[in-house]
Amino acid sequence: MIRWVVWFLVSSGAAVACETAGQRMSSEIQNAPKVHVALDEIRLSQPFSILLTVCDDVAVSEVRVDAIMPAHQHGLNYAPKITALGDRVFRADNMLFHMPGLWELRVDTNFGRRSISYTSDVVLK
Amino acid sequence: MKVLVTAAFVVLAGAVRSEVLLSDDEIQQTLSFGPWPISLQSDPSNRVSSDTRAIALGAALFNDPVLSADSAFSCARCHDPEQAFTTSDARAFGRVLVDRNTPSLRNLAGLRWYGWGGKSDSLWAASLHPIIEEQEMAHSKESLKAAISESIYIDDFEAIFGDIQIQDPELVLVNTAKTLSAYLETLATGRTQFDDFRDALENQDLAAAANYPEAAQRGLQLFIGRGNCVFCHNGPRFSNNEFHDAGVPYFLSETEVDDGRFGGLNFLLSNAYTLDGNWSDDAEKQGAWVVRSVRRSHSDFGTFRTPSLRGVAETAPYMHDGSLIDLDAVIRHYSEIDTERLHADGEAILSELSLSEQEIADLTAFLESLSKVP
Ligand code: HEC
Ligand code: HEC
Repeated sequence: MIRWVVWFLVSSGAAVACETAGQRMSSEIQNAPKVHVALDEIRLSQPFSILLTVCDDVAVSEVRVDAIMPAHQHGLNYAPKITALGDRVFRADNMLFHMPGLWELRVDTNFGRRSISYTSDVVLK
Repeated sequence: MKVLVTAAFVVLAGAVRSEVLLSDDEIQQTLSFGPWPISLQSDPSNRVSSDTRAIALGAALFNDPVLSADSAFSCARCHDPEQAFTTSDARAFGRVLVDRNTPSLRNLAGLRWYGWGGKSDSLWAASLHPIIEEQEMAHSKESLKAAISESIYIDDFEAIFGDIQIQDPELVLVNTAKTLSAYLETLATGRTQFDDFRDALENQDLAAAANYPEAAQRGLQLFIGRGNCVFCHNGPRFSNNEFHDAGVPYFLSETEVDDGRFGGLNFLLSNAYTLDGNWSDDAEKQGAWVVRSVRRSHSDFGTFRTPSLRGVAETAPYMHDGSLIDLDAVIRHYSEIDTERLHADGEAILSELSLSEQEIADLTAFLESLSKVP
């Protein structure tokens, strides 16, 4: 059975630490703490999970996950469920991409009172 | 002269070149529409799923007017087994004219949502609501329990579920719906010309793949290419089973609209028969994350569940209101779609395709190849 293949569009900034924790997410804020995202194979219209790792030694108070398709503004039909696994690692469950194409994964992370947004592009073919 | 030259070319090229028109990329996409049939597990939320006695009882009840309060008609009145489990009426007619078209009941096992507006998250709930729906079978729990008790099916029912007299009427209702669901799970469309093509491509048997008409191949290319159909109609069922606005007017009258998914979610979230509720037989509540985490949004208004396209040639007329009489009309609808009329956030995927007559015929040939050859 053929599966929908997924890959990241290579984003700028090579990962320095945390290589095993997946792809580094990009942020427009300079010197933002590094956030990495790891995901398994994503199948169209099937739930999947992602693993988020904050790679710098900072206190994380909250993580929110969302995604949209920039081309036509479709968002997630289901709210991701976030679980803190400890050691600045978070899992988001109940993610579901219901259309093929480019999805922009968006992670908003609160470091104390400072909130920083991160994005990664995911292409679901 | 031109014709002669072309013909000669085909003969010469025949040995080396097949008539598969698809590029490698298109072949990869085509593989994602199969394999067919899909293998399905029993429904963990229905303890009589796959139970042969329940399937037989469900089939009998489905076709028997005992399930309507006044014995007026059976489920088959609208879901006629002789007509691909629907009828040729634009809108369903039972006691009254219903607002919506009757969907075919094939290939329903294992879906995330049921109904045009997705008001049910399980097949047994989708089988339960029509029993008590006033416009359909119009039973109450109590009248249903009395009707089953007095029917010829009482022995079969008790053989599966035990003494009916000690069952609460609501339990009788749920049990009855679960037998219907066990039966409906077994209804599936068979393999088609498209599936032979798809499997031949997977096996890299280009000679066999070339049996698939070129018109259908060109239609498939449009379907996954310029037509953008695959955005919503994808996977082995040709549906993402989510909710979209395909540009079908949703006004019922000057003052009333069919709110589609919006109303479906309201209904779902306010009734007890969900995978998160006590009537699910699954201790692990596997599918319950769906109703727990589904998001509501103003753009749900007037969106409808993407229908599967398997067997679609057998189920005219089309769309949630049955307003398009045949596949040609559906394709012309997409070809001429009035994007101004797309409401809410709109479906930025849909745009006026302005297909040529040839392209319309090709897309129709493709859609027809998703049905069994008669
Ligand atoms: C009056 C005609 C009518 C009768 C009688 C009727 N149905 Fe339906 N059925 C419909 C219509 C119309 C829909 C679509 C309803 C909606 O989505 O709002 C539907 C939808 C369904 C669905 C969901 C299908 C899908 O694609 O998600 C199931 C399952 C179903 N009916 C089963 C039954 C059963 C079981 C009975 C008998 C107990 C029954 N129906 C009786 C007209 C009817
Ligand atoms: C944005 C998602 C989307 C796209 C893109 C799309 N469809 Fe649909 N399709 C739907 C939805 C939703 C419906 C039901 C609409 C309604 O009833 O209001 C539908 C209905 C249909 C039906 C009628 C099925 C039935 O049983 O009533 C056919 C046939 C169909 N589409 C074919 C196509 C073709 C061919 C294309 C490409 C030209 C296409 N669709 C593009 C979502 C989509």
